[in-house]
Order: sequence, then C-alpha cells, then structure tokens
Amino acid sequence: MEAEVVESEMVLPTHLRFKRIQMYEKYPKGQSRGRHWKHLKQILQAENFQNYRPNEPHYVNIESPPSMHPCKRICDITGYEAPYFDPRTNLRYANAEVFKIIRSLPNDYVQRYLALRNAAVVLK
Amino acid sequence: MPFISRTARQSDYSHFPSTCPIVIDNGGSYFRIGWAGETDPRLVFRNIVQRPRHKTTGETVSIVGDQDPTLLRYFDCTRSGPRSAFDSNVVYQFEIMEYILDFGFDRMGVDGSQSLYFILGQLPMQEKRVISVGSLFLKQVDHPVLITECVCNPIQSRSKMAELLFESYGVPSIAFGVDAAFSYKYNQQCGVCGEDGLAICSGFATSHAIPHSYIYGFPELLSLSTFFSLFDCSRFTWEKVEDLKMEHCYIAPDYASEVRLFQKGTKEAEEKTRCWQLPWVPPPTEEPRSEEEIARKAAIKERQGQRLREMAEAKRSSRINELENQLQGLEFLLQQLAYVQESDVPSFLAETGYVSKQEIESTLAKVTQSLRKAKGEQVESEAKADPSATEKFPLVNIPDEMLTLEQLKEKRKQLFLKTTTEGRQRAKQKRFEEEMERERLNQQDEEKRLENPELYLEQLQAKYKELSEKVEQRKRLKTNGGPTNGNHNVSGGVGRGERLNAAQKERMRLLTTAAFDRGKGEDTFGARDEDWHLYKLMSKDNDDDDEGPDEDEAELARVTSRLQVDYSFLYIKHMLLHLLNSLITSSLPMWDILLNLNSSLWQDIDPKFVPKSEPGPWQSSTEVPRSRPMTKEDFQILLEVERFRCPEILFQPNLIGIDQAGLDEMVGVSLRRLPSKAEGLEDRLTSNIFLTGGSCLYPGMSERLEAGIRMIRPCGSPIKIVKAFDPIFDAWRGAAAYANSLLFPQQTFTRMDYYEKGEDWLRKVKLIISEAYYALLKENRLFSFPMLSSLYGCCVLQLKF
Repeated sequence: MEAEVVESEMVLPTHLRFKRIQMYEKYPKGQSRGRHWKHLKQILQAENFQNYRPNEPHYVNIESPPSMHPCKRICDITGYEAPYFDPRTNLRYANAEVFKIIRSLPNDYVQRYLALRNAAVVLK
Repeated sequence: MPFISRTARQSDYSHFPSTCPIVIDNGGSYFRIGWAGETDPRLVFRNIVQRPRHKTTGETVSIVGDQDPTLLRYFDCTRSGPRSAFDSNVVYQFEIMEYILDFGFDRMGVDGSQSLYFILGQLPMQEKRVISVGSLFLKQVDHPVLITECVCNPIQSRSKMAELLFESYGVPSIAFGVDAAFSYKYNQQCGVCGEDGLAICSGFATSHAIPHSYIYGFPELLSLSTFFSLFDCSRFTWEKVEDLKMEHCYIAPDYASEVRLFQKGTKEAEEKTRCWQLPWVPPPTEEPRSEEEIARKAAIKERQGQRLREMAEAKRSSRINELENQLQGLEFLLQQLAYVQESDVPSFLAETGYVSKQEIESTLAKVTQSLRKAKGEQVESEAKADPSATEKFPLVNIPDEMLTLEQLKEKRKQLFLKTTTEGRQRAKQKRFEEEMERERLNQQDEEKRLENPELYLEQLQAKYKELSEKVEQRKRLKTNGGPTNGNHNVSGGVGRGERLNAAQKERMRLLTTAAFDRGKGEDTFGARDEDWHLYKLMSKDNDDDDEGPDEDEAELARVTSRLQVDYSFLYIKHMLLHLLNSLITSSLPMWDILLNLNSSLWQDIDPKFVPKSEPGPWQSSTEVPRSRPMTKEDFQILLEVERFRCPEILFQPNLIGIDQAGLDEMVGVSLRRLPSKAEGLEDRLTSNIFLTGGSCLYPGMSERLEAGIRMIRPCGSPIKIVKAFDPIFDAWRGAAAYANSLLFPQQTFTRMDYYEKGEDWLRKVKLIISEAYYALLKENRLFSFPMLSSLYGCCVLQLKF
C-alpha cells in the first residue's frame, strides 16, 4: 500500500480486536456474498402484516395515501408546464421547440426520460 | 460541502465506564456515533461502503464513508460503486452494516479492553482499592448501545440488527428508537416546540409526519436527489450531486409561477440561475510573431524548398541519362540486327534477351517516349495547346466525288479524327461548365447558411432524411430483387409481390412474352439474332436502376458531410441537463442506473453523427460552424429550473410517478386519522409543526408547507411551523439525552434475554405501543394528558415488558 493511503487510514482493517467473529471468517472469500439479503419488498412480504391488529401501525399501513390534488403535468425535458403530450413517445412537452427535440431523440433516451417519471416500458 | 464528516480516531475510549451507552444515529445518509450525554456525536460519516481493489496489489479492501478522492486513485473503483445498507429507510444489507459499525467502533477507539480500575471502582467504598492492573481484554464492545431506526421498522430488520450487535460485537444491551422522536424531544427540551405537536421528519429517503400523540407516521416513499448531468463523468459523482442539491436547491412557493418566470426569461430568472463553471483551459492563443521570427521561418522554408528542388533536378537528370543510354543501346542493337542475317537472328537475339525485332522496336519506342516525358515538361505545354489548331482536316470538306480512292480513305480517317477531337472538346467544355455550376451552387449554399442557419439546417436535415429513405428503399429493393434477378428460371418460386420495381416488372414481362408458347409446337426462340436482344434490354434495365441511386447517394454524401458538425458542448449541455434534471430515487440502485445513464449518455452524445442510422439527433436550434473554438460558456452548466424542480417532488410525488400525497397533504391526512378527536387537538397540533431531517433544510420549505396546510385546514386555524435547531444532529442529540436519562437501563434489551429467548422471540413480540406507553406514562411525569404521552416514552419500542 502506498504510504499516504496507510497514513490516512481510510482502509478498514481486516482484523478488529473487539470483534468476536471477524468479517473474513463470516464471509469467506469466494462465496456469493450479498445475494442472500432480502430486499425491502421481500421483508415486507414475510412480515405478514395481515395478522396484525387493524389499528396497529406498521411499515405498510402508515404509507401515505394517493393524492387528492390533480396531477400536475410538467414537461419532461425542460421542466416547464406541459399541456401537451406526444402519443408516439409518451413524453410531455411544453412547446414546439421541445417537441422537435423530442422527435429527434433516439429510443433509449426516450425510455430514460420516461423512467424518470416511472413511465418507461419495462420488459420483464 | 454542507456536511463535513468527522472521522478522527477517538482516543478516550477507556475513560468511559461500561455503563455509559454509545449512541448511534443510523441515518440514510449519515452515520453518527458518540457517547451518551454529550452534545455532539464524535464521528459523522456517510453511510456507505466501497470495496475497490487496490491497483497494484490486487486485494479488495473496504472503505467506509466518503473519502478523499485523490487517495482513491490508487484503487480501481470501477467495479465497486458506493453501497448503502439501506433500502429506502430500512436496513437490509447487514454485511454492509457490519462494515460500517466496524468502522464506527474502530474509530471510537474501541479496542475491547476494559480498564480494571473502573471495575474496582464500582465496589463499595470500603473495599475499594486502587489496583492498577492491566486491562482485561474482552472481545466485545462493552457498552450498551442505543441505535435509531425508522418508524415502524420491520421486525426482521430489527432482529437482524440485534443479532449483529449481540453476536458479532458482544454488546450487553440494546435499545431502539425513532430518530424523529428523539429530535422532537430534544427540541422540546430546548423550547423550540411545545408539548404536543406534529413532527415532520424529512430524511434521505422518506418523510414522515408523526403526530406527537401517537406514532402514526406517514412515510412517503420519496427520494430526493437531483441529478445533474455531466460533461466529464469522472468529475461527477453522486456525492457531488448531493452536495449540489443541498447547496443550490430551494423550494418555490408556487411551482407554476416560478416556472413561468423562467419560461419568459425575465431578469429575475436570470438572477436565479446558478452557473457552474467546469474547469476549462482555453486553447493557447498564438502570440503575434515578431518580425525576425517570421523572417527566420521564411528563410528556413526557402532553404527547404531549394533543397527539394535540387533533389528533384538531380533525380530527373539521372533518369534522363539512364534513358538516353538505354536508347543508344537499343539503337545500336537494331543496327546490328540489320547486319545479321535472318537465320541468325534468333540466336543473336537470345544473347541480348529480346525475343524478336518487334520487341526491340517497341521497347525503343517506349524509351523514347519516356525520355521525351522526362525531358519534356516544356514539350507538354505545347502538346496541350489547342489541338484543333494543329489538326487540319483538309480533305473533309471536299465532296466525295472529287477524291481518289486513297484520298477517300484519307478523308474518312480525317473525318473520324475530327469528330473525335470535337467530341473531346465538347466533353471538356461540358465538364468546365459543370464545375462552374457546382461552384455557384456551393456559393449559394454558403450564403444561405450564413444568413439563416436554422432554416438551412432544417432543410438540410429534411433533405437528408428524404435521401436516406430513398437510398434505403432502393437498397432494400435490390436485396429483395437479388434472388429473383439471379433466378430467371424459377417459375413459381418467387411471389409477385417482391417485384416491386418497375424495371423488374418489365423484365418479367419480357421474359414471359419470350416464353409465351405461341402454340406452333416448336420453340424457335434464339433462331433469329433479334431474339437475343431481349437480354440486352433486360440488363439495360438493370443498369438504369443503378444510375439513379448513384446520384442520390452522391447527394446524400454531400448532405451528410454538411451535417457532420462538431457537437459543441452547447447541445450536450442542453440535452443532458434537461434529461437528467430530475428527481430520482436516492436509493442507491437507482443512483447506479442514473449514473450509468449519465455516463453512457455522455459517451453516446459525443457523436459521430452516424449516417443512415439516426440522422442528426442532437442538432438543436443553432448550428455551430466547425471552426468556432470552444469558449468558456461551453463548459458551464446552468442550473435554472432544476433548482426548484427537484425539491418539488416533496410536495408533488406525482412528478416522478409515485402515487402518493405530498407533504402538505400528508399533514392533513395524519390529522384526519387521529384516533381521538379531543377538543382542539388538531389546532394544537398544527400550531406546533416541527420540521426536522436533512431534507428540511431547503430554503422556502416552511413557507410552502404553511401555504399548503392553510389550504387544507379551516380558515383561521393556527398554523405555526418551526424548524429544528439543527435538523441534522438533533436526532442524535435527543438520543444521547435520552440515553443519559435514568430510565434508560430499564428500557434496553439485554443479551441475556436474547440468548434465552432467541431471535425468534423478537419476531413474536409485536409492537404494542399503547400498553407500553401507558406504562411509561405512569412512570414519566413529563406528560400532561393521558392521551398524549411524551414521545420520550413512545418512541422507545419496548421489547421486553
């Protein structure tokens, strides 16, 4: 290791005196390391929230409900107000110039714009 | 950088008795750890882990928190992005959590030792002896730990955390708490907010509104981060983007009106625009050379020219000599040959290497010619001079009858020559004219371009599209027609639909007419010569086909070259900014996606305008001539609308497709959902709205929230919004204060319990708040109403009772 790296101590030491089981013993090299962690969705599924009492708060039932206000539409490209909608690409746009730009975009850019709005076509 | 990490190694671990709890605020963005009872956490660092490989040794190391990027150059960080243990606000990756805890404890100075002095000190006074023995070495972190978590943390996450702390670190006891509650409590003690209130905790990944009466939180699955596009991806990391976000974003009081300001391009909008100048080195300007330098350079050039000319001259003369020698030799040989008799010719010639006299003569002629050429640049100009002047066709004009036979022949020859020369002249003339024409067109083009670049560009693009379509279509037809062209004899195999081309149709028609059985019994095709002209016709069609596209293709090539201009940073910035100025989820996987998006976008856009695929994608309204040098402005990123577009999603999650209510609505919903409608409860709550969490630091947040809530509540109800004293650290401070209280030891979950009852017991224990806090209510005298408890008690999730 280079001197300055060692000096700055930015690297986590592998053996820590106060630990009972060291990391390298727990997660030996070569085995698949992180893939057995459950994601939030799976955790929530495993929780079986139906078995709880109805009034009890838990992770899922304290989620905010959908909004009552009408959805505000803004242009995907510029951020201005967007009264218009392009049926071919499903993007919202504010004026004709933006429209020109939209029509010249290659498809994957279009999908990325849409993904920002959670509206992209997801092929499973 | 708004937040500064503190990761210095602490050296006073041994000064703290083993009853002193360690307080950890495990936040989505930062990890804060310190001792209970203090005002500030000892360590603050980002809650991320990177596992790069060292470039030279190849070993994989773990690096926790944000580090000095200059040191990172020794590591290969391409495959390891920063990873967080969180998925939204719940810890799920405990391996990463372990790394982080390792680092935290390590820097706190935990070395597993327990000074024996303290142990003795806890004995009754009489038996106290000052024995300085060495330290016991225990493989554990010998302090109770208070760790924060999100509201209504799933039990699985909590139990894994407990397991981690107990098993790997040997912590004697643990308590969990909600960070928002701690913050509220702390501020209550400081007098910032009153007894009952509504806490709005807006963190890294979620926001909660927690009425101080019940733990009813409404987490919004919001994720806030602006993501700015980059020119130079290596410079842009999401950390930088985070910083940008915190520094420059603000919340507009009304999104629509702000946006209109920008749309109109008013002066206010200009002021609100922040410009980020990337490092840029202007190209070195050429200093005006002094006289002597110019003269010197000219002299050098002259000398070089001279040298070259001399060399050329020498070469030419040597070649001339050579050729002359050769000529002489050949002539001599010819002379000799004249003397030699016929029969001896072959043998004579065999010695010299030539097979026959003709060969010698032909070589002679060639040599003379090349000699003439080598000598004769002077001759050339004469030769090229008006050929018609030298050629005379005296006989042509005389009518036929007056000439003799020989003269007739002569005349025919001359006629032929004349027509050919005339033809040549005409061709030259035509070529000349064409060139003039092309020049003129180019000139016109240039003028058009200069006067109205935009229109010109559009026309060019349109033409390009048209041409490319035509070319493509023809190509398609050709390839379609290919198989059928080759197999004239396949009768039923090819469908009629493939022969779309008129020429192909014609060809087919010819074939069918030829093959038409006239019923005479015998097929006499080919008996006459004219029949074979059929094939000539057919192939001619083919040729016609080819000429058309050539023109088009030439035109296409020309147009393409005009369109291929430099993609100046102007466009790129334009496009990228608009593309990426969005509110994206802060959860790291999405970061990765967007980072990738960013980087690849950046590479893609550095285009190569690829002809035939996507015609001119990034041409925006101005065309930049190739010769324009890059200016300072090209390396700037302007943050205009993005500044307030990003935090806007706190109030309108619909902007990123999340179907939830914004913060202001959330407040209304939580008020509605209160279990009891005690009098004035709602008013009391709204007059005491408490903002905490990192995301509440945006300027304009309070005003916007107030305006939003006022829209929901009945007219005239009191609304008061207070911000936490220090939204980032208050949670930790509250937790530290709580841990320092006398009641804390009774509220922790000890290792004994964990071992006895096992991990599963934690699962079976459901969160029973009502009983728990009633119990606490009785003990705790800090509350005023039975329904309202102090969050002090509420926030601790009782795990044993």
